[in-house]
Amino acid sequence: MYKIVSPRVGVPGTEFVPEKGVNIEALIAGGFVVDTGAKKSAKTTTEQPKD
Amino acid sequence: MATSTYLSNPGVIVNSVSLTDQCTSATVTNTAEALESTAFGSTSRVFVSGLFSQEITLDLYMSYAASETYATLAALVGTTTTVKVSNTVAGLATPSATEPCFTLTGAYLEALPVINASMGELSTISITFKGGVLTTAVS
Repeated sequence: MYKIVSPRVGVPGTEFVPEKGVNIEALIAGGFVVDTGAKKSAKTTTEQPKD
Repeated sequence: MATSTYLSNPGVIVNSVSLTDQCTSATVTNTAEALESTAFGSTSRVFVSGLFSQEITLDLYMSYAASETYATLAALVGTTTTVKVSNTVAGLATPSATEPCFTLTGAYLEALPVINASMGELSTISITFKGGVLTTAVS
């Protein structure tokens, strides 16, 4: 899901549904929309060596 | 009689971004390439339609501010996108017979002048989107 940031695209804060042919990567790169579904990097734990 | 005089009405959307307030000229051209089919016995040249070829040329003020011209176009070079042009801003959202919306889907942006600086003048650029499929919405 994408959320609108810039009023040039629509109402900021509302969901953005890309039409056919729209280059969503360019919109994200330009800061016009954000991908709210972007996955966070997995947390990794490192076990401490036992003394 | 009758001509179309444009003062402030036309609307332009590039990749879902409204650039109407940065645009001073927009030309949408629908071309059917001419293939010559003239043969012996003909006294005039004859052509038939080949592939269709579309172009949209826009003249824009250049701005490097957030959400402006450069931010819209920089990442589009070498890619395809969708461009919409109508003779009125209202026609972009609600097209009609007198306010048709021309949409070029799969339009390729080959080149972007990243700077065009002249003393004492507002910076402008001219860009051309090529190829794709042109549709005309009238309702």
